[in-house]
Amino acid sequence: MVVIKAENLTRDYKVGFGGLRRLRALDSLNLEIEKGEIFGFLGPNGSGKTTTIKLLLGLIKPTAGRITVFGRSPADTAIKKKIGYLPESPYFYDYLTAYEFLYFCAQVFGIKEDRIDQLLKLVDMEEARNVQMRNFSRGMLQRIGVAQALLGEPELVIFDEPMGGLDPIGRKEVRDIILNLRKEGKTVFFSSHILSDAEMICDRVGILVKGKLVKIGKTTQILSEEIESIEVTVRNIPEAIKEELRKIAVGVLESDNKVMFIVQKEEERDQIIKSVANSAGEIVSVIPRRKTLEEYFMSFVR
Amino acid sequence: MRIKAIIFNTFIESIRDKILIILIILGFLLMASSKIIQPLALGEESKIIKDLGLSAINLITVLIAIFVGGRLIYKEVEKRTIYIVLAKPIKRWEFILGKYCGLFLVLFVSLLILAIGFFLVLLLMNISADFTLLLPLLFLLFELSIITALAIFFSTFVTPIGASIFTFILYFIGHLTRDLKAFAVMAKSPIIKVIADFFYYILPNLANFNIKGMVVHNVIIPPPLIFFTILYGIFYTAGLLFFSMLVFQRKDF
Repeated sequence: MVVIKAENLTRDYKVGFGGLRRLRALDSLNLEIEKGEIFGFLGPNGSGKTTTIKLLLGLIKPTAGRITVFGRSPADTAIKKKIGYLPESPYFYDYLTAYEFLYFCAQVFGIKEDRIDQLLKLVDMEEARNVQMRNFSRGMLQRIGVAQALLGEPELVIFDEPMGGLDPIGRKEVRDIILNLRKEGKTVFFSSHILSDAEMICDRVGILVKGKLVKIGKTTQILSEEIESIEVTVRNIPEAIKEELRKIAVGVLESDNKVMFIVQKEEERDQIIKSVANSAGEIVSVIPRRKTLEEYFMSFVR
Repeated sequence: MRIKAIIFNTFIESIRDKILIILIILGFLLMASSKIIQPLALGEESKIIKDLGLSAINLITVLIAIFVGGRLIYKEVEKRTIYIVLAKPIKRWEFILGKYCGLFLVLFVSLLILAIGFFLVLLLMNISADFTLLLPLLFLLFELSIITALAIFFSTFVTPIGASIFTFILYFIGHLTRDLKAFAVMAKSPIIKVIADFFYYILPNLANFNIKGMVVHNVIIPPPLIFFTILYGIFYTAGLLFFSMLVFQRKDF
């Protein structure tokens, strides 16, 4: 089942004096997200990620194209009952306590108060439940943001930069929450410019640069396309073999009795393995070195 | 249920705001200052103190409506809380109505607190007070209803300072629209007459709500005046809220 469908989705903003100039923030985006998927929407700042999310939530209207969520317009209130949303650097009402704010959200969704306690526990904010939110740190606001997004038991969760402002422990917790959502069969759409987080949890990623979707695919597939080199580490090989293999490698590192050959092709890797086996040497490790997603999208930005 | 949640949210958020508390304290100080002018009143002290107290309540509640109301919607946009609220199953018109009712509730409570203070001042000064003094407060409530709606209307498309300034200007002009009517009657040029008439009918006529002087001087207020003034307040507020919703519905965030 398709949860999110964007067809030629385009959004311009009026800029400059009198709004005469137009800036294209999103350019003909075509996207389909299936139920139960964790989709990472990646791109540098200003690439159009938040604009897409605003269109997904019906906060802005497209200049051209169409977007549907669960087959209907995102402006539809009934659809919004199925969506949980965490904005980037969330900010809530200064003078409300965490509990009061979540109570407000519970009333809007028409759900029982017990759920508030469950979520305060989930995001580890039980102790701060009666503290006014103006006293919260960025990390605490982020946690309350996650809680309010999950309060209505949404089928689709939209997180805009969910790891922003969190320390490594907080990031791991958010990662675990997202992985748990997958177990529950929820669909998660999240934007990030912190790519290592996406690399670990996403089924698919889309890479958005300057408003255009430049790449979309399975995270593992995108990564396998991008093997930069293979490092083959061997031990106890004769000097003659070492010299022979040195010719095919682009780099050689030696330490004690181990030698690491760096090659670029799989055939070269196979040749090393074969030679080492024939000479009664020992293979210690074979490690493909991939471009990180970070390096990957920087190649589009350049 | 959803509107109730927004009303409660707005009410709690506003009553804990320092600006509201400062304004209410200022109101009490103004009323307490009548003790200072008591010796200067020369036998008219009852009327002067009543007038001063009612004027203090009027001033403070109007300031609350202008300053708190002017910030109400824009603050949500500026601090981006609006994203969270409108991403939830809330219709945009419900948001405007909830915000309006929440602020009106704040004004009602503020007026109630100030009115209690006012009657206490009268009691302490041994000045007789009867229920007719509640009538100007009731009228004030309907005037506040219009001012709040004005502040919310402006707040949907201009900055808080802009909304407060525009609301204040309209509040000021709203007390002078009778002069505009007189000007229309006297004007020789038909074009000026039409323009003056146009503004007379479109701008809020807030002078109608000011019956403090009449009540303090024991002038009897005719019931039809009460009825039509209240009706005017309700319709004008409804019109403003309708346009606020219209602007807000089309707004991109």
